[in-house]
Amino acid sequence: MFSSYDIVFYLLALFALFSAFGVVTSASPIYSAFFLVLAMMDIACLFVMLGAFFIAGVQLIVYAGAVVVLFVMVLMLFNLHQETEAFSRGTISGMAKLGVTGLLCGILATTLFHFASTAKTIAAEIGPEESTEKLAKLLFSDYLFGFEAISILILVVAVGAVALSQLKGGTHAKS
Amino acid sequence: MGGDAFEVTVNLVKMAVIFLMMVQMVPILVWAERRGSAFIQNRFGPNRVGPLGLTQLLADAVKFIMKEEFVPGKATALLFYAAPVVALIPAALSLAAIPYSVPVHVEAFGEYGPYVFNIQGYEAGLGILFILSVSSLGAYSILMAGYGSANKYSLMGALRASAQMVSYELALSLSVIGVVLIYGTLNLSEIIKLQEGVKFGLPNWGILYQPLGFVLFFSCAFAECNRLPFDLSEAEGELVAGFHTEYGGFKMLLFFMGEYGHMMVASCLATIFYFGGYNIPYCTPTEVLQILETKFASSTVASLLTSLVFLISFLIKVGFFLWLFIWVRWTLPRFRYDQLMNLGWKKMLPWSLFNLILTAAAMLILKG
Repeated sequence: MFSSYDIVFYLLALFALFSAFGVVTSASPIYSAFFLVLAMMDIACLFVMLGAFFIAGVQLIVYAGAVVVLFVMVLMLFNLHQETEAFSRGTISGMAKLGVTGLLCGILATTLFHFASTAKTIAAEIGPEESTEKLAKLLFSDYLFGFEAISILILVVAVGAVALSQLKGGTHAKS
Repeated sequence: MGGDAFEVTVNLVKMAVIFLMMVQMVPILVWAERRGSAFIQNRFGPNRVGPLGLTQLLADAVKFIMKEEFVPGKATALLFYAAPVVALIPAALSLAAIPYSVPVHVEAFGEYGPYVFNIQGYEAGLGILFILSVSSLGAYSILMAGYGSANKYSLMGALRASAQMVSYELALSLSVIGVVLIYGTLNLSEIIKLQEGVKFGLPNWGILYQPLGFVLFFSCAFAECNRLPFDLSEAEGELVAGFHTEYGGFKMLLFFMGEYGHMMVASCLATIFYFGGYNIPYCTPTEVLQILETKFASSTVASLLTSLVFLISFLIKVGFFLWLFIWVRWTLPRFRYDQLMNLGWKKMLPWSLFNLILTAAAMLILKG
């Protein structure tokens, strides 16, 4: 028998899958971005159901409220035309796609099998009460190095994106 | 009726009431805006329909509903229709998380137990974070309207508006963090409770500790609501009407409701963070409750009246800020786009960072 919690969870999960599927299958990049917003909001709702209110809020502010807004803005400025096909064809690129998907599934499965029990104990340690304060303490003491390393990773990605866009063929290419 | 069913019913009723309250405030604000602008510009304004022209807006609403309803030829119908509806959601959700008054304590009667009735749509534990995150979604309705209308002016207006909202959100959030540092909580009711009483002969309100924060917060709020002097998204001199160029009738009115809803949220937040929320200077809720309990036999009635007194106090403060929004709109000219971006990134953001660091340093020195 389903409890009301289960019903809400499965509805949200279904909707998350639907919008995530929409991101990859819509032919127009703008619709992809709008589907991405829906997926972000849905994931925020799932965080709320887990009692992680702070992460839900940050998810909304950072991803839905800022990052995807920038995506949509850039897409509108470039006025990209509707692609004729949702997927590009090609044997080699198809195999690469399958390989990447397989790798991602593998990573997900490994994480689930190996860290599910550790995550449960850590979650129990943190507890539902005052989780914001404890999260901040964990982030800025025990996990400081990882936290800062991720921010450097984002910087590297940004520099890489600029470098790639200035190569030939890009919209900002030095002709 | 079980306890859970009762809770659910109460919350649903509250949501409906808060949404209706927001929608009903709009005609009054539009009237105040038109009469106020006329007063400022030495004109008459609407004064023919009903007393003081108050029923003008009723006539306008009927006109809005009666208008022909259409979609422009090349527009994307789904986005075009969805945008005005989406415009209402962030404002309504944020307004529901705001505590309007002290909770009413209903005593037990008959078989029913005592009950605490919060004058608030729902108690969000991290209220500030919730409101900031929900209202940051407001940019999407504008983007959807701009893209869905298939009109150059709409698109330009939408791009300007969303760029402006993203830029000023940073400074806004940073100025709010000053308040969070001082009170050490993200819960709006607790922030209000901490502002009770008197300090240095003045009410113990947030503005005593965060004067710079208030100025930054309120100016960024103007940009977030797309109001003059930051209404670059409409800029009727350059862009016809910006993102709602193609909208008419009731769909246009929905955008108006969203804008006024954002104004209400900003005024409520300014009141809560810097002007003591529903607190009345020089008297606390418990004092008022004690006085009223001597006058009335039933403690439920006393609690209800206390709540009403503080609700009126909150509404007076919010009303003042709403008037300030209107006042500024009809007094200041519009910024140019480069001036707007310079102000946002080169002045507001550094000043709010400075405010944050100053607050943090002061907290560290004073509290050890």
